[in-house]
Amino acid sequence: MEFFENALHFLTSAIDNFPKFFPGIIATLQLSVLSIILGTVFGLIVNLLKMTKIKPLCMLADLYVAVVRGTPLLLQLFFMFYGLPQMGIYIDRFSSAVAGLAFHNGAYISEIFRGSIQAIPRGQHEAAKAIGMTKLQAFKNVIFPQAFKHAVPALGNQFLLAIKDSSLASVITITETMMLARQLAAATFSIFPVYFDAAVIYMVLTYALNVLLRKLEKRLKVNER
Amino acid sequence: MTILETKNLHKKFNKAEVLKGIDFSINQGEVVSIIGSSGSGKSTFLRCLNFLDKKDKGDIIFKNNIVENKAASIIELRKHVGMVFQSFNLFFNMTVLKNVMSGLVIVNKEEKSLAEKKAMELLDKVGLTEKAHVYPETMSGGQLQRVAIARALAMSPDVVLFDEPTSALDPELVAEVLAVMKNLAKEGCTMIVVTHEMAFAREVSDRVIFLHEGIITEEGTPDEIFNHPKNERLRSFLSSMSF
Repeated sequence: MEFFENALHFLTSAIDNFPKFFPGIIATLQLSVLSIILGTVFGLIVNLLKMTKIKPLCMLADLYVAVVRGTPLLLQLFFMFYGLPQMGIYIDRFSSAVAGLAFHNGAYISEIFRGSIQAIPRGQHEAAKAIGMTKLQAFKNVIFPQAFKHAVPALGNQFLLAIKDSSLASVITITETMMLARQLAAATFSIFPVYFDAAVIYMVLTYALNVLLRKLEKRLKVNER
Repeated sequence: MTILETKNLHKKFNKAEVLKGIDFSINQGEVVSIIGSSGSGKSTFLRCLNFLDKKDKGDIIFKNNIVENKAASIIELRKHVGMVFQSFNLFFNMTVLKNVMSGLVIVNKEEKSLAEKKAMELLDKVGLTEKAHVYPETMSGGQLQRVAIARALAMSPDVVLFDEPTSALDPELVAEVLAVMKNLAKEGCTMIVVTHEMAFAREVSDRVIFLHEGIITEEGTPDEIFNHPKNERLRSFLSSMSF
């Protein structure tokens, strides 16, 4: 009997606390969506910079990727939050969190794109060149659409990480899901139910994204037999 | 009128000298076949003509103008010089129709409806209108190559380069591609064809060039090359082909 009583107590506590998470869910969604979109743009820009084959631009792109991959995300967020103001750059808390997460995701996404671009057969580049396309035209119309399709599974993986990584924004004072969970746990002492809520939220968000990505993958497969 | 010329064309890959000074020219309406054993530099020569491989020395002259070695002039040249590859290289992310339209829409920025009309006419010419909205993935090699020819023709090129267009095809599919090429030749299309199809070279070409170790070793009419070869290398090459 005791087990069922405990379970019931656990569930009621989890359900009672759940509505309090809504502002956190919204913040988590905002952080994830913005950092994914911006990160994808960064990833694309890195590859375009490398495509120019202009030495300083390539080195800049390489440096960016090396720094992001070589340092912890937590440290990168601290840099955005504490470091930038000391350099005289003032942005609000939320923007600095988005910037930090996007900066981080962009480096990994650029590597995903780089890999999938390299996997495009040389003949595709050559046919595009031979018909008179510029590098940019070939990239936009031939290479990237094909590369993007190959990149979707790996991108999806990175996007799921982005959702979960957004929890680290809590350490730079953003009131997202994880921050709320810590606050609620401290206030109500129902630690396990509250963190259970948080876990459910991340599960649902990542699962929903996964379903969307599968749909996208299917739609992009139209040109395969 | 001379469409394309090369003067003293040289090309090296690392230390291997592949082209050792090629002097070449082709007139409007002429069909020139280039034959030779593998490694003789045939494909490299063709790829140098539209700068897919960059020449090391010598000049490439398009309609009496030397093509400068910079992006803008190279792109301008490529708009007028079509190319058909051994491995077709159709754009996988586009339907057959979009493939044929690609040069007109993306490079020439032509209006879509006009480009589509022209592309459909060309697909009709290569006998593939019913495949217009199909993606390349599902098609046979012969069909792919015919689409690739239509794609090259869409730009109304002054000359079309064929880089072993039937070498990657199953034997029973070779004929359909050669038939399309024969028709083109009959219509007066200027063509440079690197080929192992000796029967085709003999029947369709105005002139045949035998390339050996990066040098034009013998050059002449099909009758001269195939029936009265002078050069020893050419003779042994021809006897090895047994056609």
